[in-house]
Amino acid sequence: MESLYAVFRKEISDHFSSYRFVLLFALIAMVSFITSYMVGMQLRDNLETLSKTRFPYLMLFSTPGAVFSMVQFVAFFGPLIGLVLGFDSINRERAHGTLIKLVSQPIYRDAVINGKFLAGVITILVMLVAIVLVITGFGLSIVGVVPSLEEIWRISVYVIISLFYISLWLGVSILFSIVFRSIATSALASVALWIFLSFFVTLGAEAIANSITPIERQDVQAERVIKNIRIKEGLSLASPMVLYSEATATIVDPMRKTTGSIVFMSPLEQILSSRFQNPLSLGQSLIVVFPHATALIAITLICFAVSYLVFMLQEIRS
Amino acid sequence: MILNGVRCQFLGLALLLSALMLQAIAPFHAFADEARKDSGGRGIFVAPEYTGVVIPKGQDLSLDLTIKNKGKQDELVELKLTAVAQGWKANLKSYSYGITGTHVEAEKSKSITLRLEPDGEVPAGQYAFAIAARTQDGALTSSCQVIVTVEGKGEETKPRGVNIATSYPVLSGPTDGKFEFSLEVESKLGKEGIFNLSAQAPEKWEINFKPAYDDKLISSLRLKPDQSQTVAVEVKPYPFAKPGQYPIGIKVSSPEAKGEAELTVVLKGIQKLDAGTINGLLSLPAVRGRESTLSFYIKNSGSATLTNIQLLSFKPENWKVKFEPERIDVLEPDQLKQIEVVITPAENALVGDYSVGLSAESGRVSKTIELRVTVQASTIWGWVGIGIIILVLFGLVALFVRLGRR
Repeated sequence: MESLYAVFRKEISDHFSSYRFVLLFALIAMVSFITSYMVGMQLRDNLETLSKTRFPYLMLFSTPGAVFSMVQFVAFFGPLIGLVLGFDSINRERAHGTLIKLVSQPIYRDAVINGKFLAGVITILVMLVAIVLVITGFGLSIVGVVPSLEEIWRISVYVIISLFYISLWLGVSILFSIVFRSIATSALASVALWIFLSFFVTLGAEAIANSITPIERQDVQAERVIKNIRIKEGLSLASPMVLYSEATATIVDPMRKTTGSIVFMSPLEQILSSRFQNPLSLGQSLIVVFPHATALIAITLICFAVSYLVFMLQEIRS
Repeated sequence: MILNGVRCQFLGLALLLSALMLQAIAPFHAFADEARKDSGGRGIFVAPEYTGVVIPKGQDLSLDLTIKNKGKQDELVELKLTAVAQGWKANLKSYSYGITGTHVEAEKSKSITLRLEPDGEVPAGQYAFAIAARTQDGALTSSCQVIVTVEGKGEETKPRGVNIATSYPVLSGPTDGKFEFSLEVESKLGKEGIFNLSAQAPEKWEINFKPAYDDKLISSLRLKPDQSQTVAVEVKPYPFAKPGQYPIGIKVSSPEAKGEAELTVVLKGIQKLDAGTINGLLSLPAVRGRESTLSFYIKNSGSATLTNIQLLSFKPENWKVKFEPERIDVLEPDQLKQIEVVITPAENALVGDYSVGLSAESGRVSKTIELRVTVQASTIWGWVGIGIIILVLFGLVALFVRLGRR
């Protein structure tokens, strides 16, 4: 345990003192400043939307300001933080020959990978909490909204899901840094995987859905369209970004009653469900996003387990 | 039947024959008449609509009098009543004024009114009236006679003055309804008069007089001689009046005359339904695809018996709502019935609040209660998810134990 703590502390101090991290964090902080500022200005201009909602604080996170809302921004570029933190964690040590020195100390081998992963996770957590607090502060000063207890709970859940999402990419990049000896290769591989899973999976899902159930523009049958969308939504769940954005959008917006983007309702059902405009309780929102959250947490853990397994079984003295 | 038919045929034949004969005679008759009075293609003729009239005692009458110009030139005709029976007042009138002469165009005829009024009580019997017509130059004359027979048994002399008539003197309906009677008020006074309208009704009832097809409230009526007008009487019963029969006296009076009529309102009680839940809660949690039960009551809070109460629901299309019992046949006043309703949200319903309306309907009364049904997701998948995460964590720990400390 002591050795784990030693590695963890060293890694944390490395992370926070590296130029790479400072640059990245500056970027993140700047973007979150701008995002929250834009949101704040927009909310102040359209006070009627603010007065209608019962959760004005959450709107700071879900309202798209200029381009992205805070939630969307983390979904798109959060993975980069994880990748940057982890892509060279093992193979850099190996290239510099410090890994052998490290293991020759009275430090167990699993402490190295555990400490590195844990340090990454804590760094991500610090960043997320910092961003959320910055936005909260902006909300207080620009719009004057004070978070209610339920809103604080929801934001906490949001932070936890985001932590797992970014940690997934941290785990992926650590895995690549174990597998590939070259730093450049592991960096490229993890970025490639990120781009593939985040952007091409949704495109691919659409292509597959259209090839299974083609929708002609002339006669669009409702059942066909529904089937097409079902296939598309099902396949795009393979992308962690889709999983994450659907889950967090539902958590941050209590009025959202499903994770899906399109809901089919018959006319009476629509009228009767819009009769009471009540938000979901936090428990119900959690149950709705639970499959998504479970999947995210599970693949994060599995990804870490795989990198642990590979690292533990690897020959490192060569 | 056959005999009848034969008789009818015979009668028809006789009529035809007489008509033919008349036609044959008529020209001769006309010729003779004209020859007698001929003075250069001129001729006038005066005749009443009916030469003999039978009326009950005390009634007056108006007859149409036709003056015909048979000649080829216009005539100015002077008219005169040559004989008026004793005790009668007779005059010749147009629509509004008396007449002593008129102008009749060539080959045209003109109608005027002969008005006969008994001057006070006239005994039964026959009364003769004669009218003479003369052209202004005195060249042509014509006269005619009207015999009026007054029948003796007209004992019940009508109150002179106002006559009130209604086609529907009895109306029935629910206590909270509105009753509208239509009265025909006819003035029999010889002159214009203002009549006050008043009503006598049970206490706390509301009675209004209105002109027909108008929304003004009136309390008096101006009537010209012999004019009649329709007056609507609107009756609003006291809302807590017991079911039963209620008479309403209507009085139309002026200083000279008075008329009365009696109307009857039959109240059948109030029809009123009430519905609600026993504890007053109108919300219901439900899990999608699973039944949830709610009991509510239906109460007859009116004073009339309700029959055949139907239970209906207003719900999203693919939901199921079942009532137990499905309908109520009879519900006495102040009686309460409990009804179980089973609501099953659709399998693919979204979580959140839905509105479901339950209504009871009997005839024209109905009552709807709106429920807020909160659809919740079942927690089964939540537990499955937690199970998966625990499994993964367990695997991770197993890895740590097996591979750690190397």
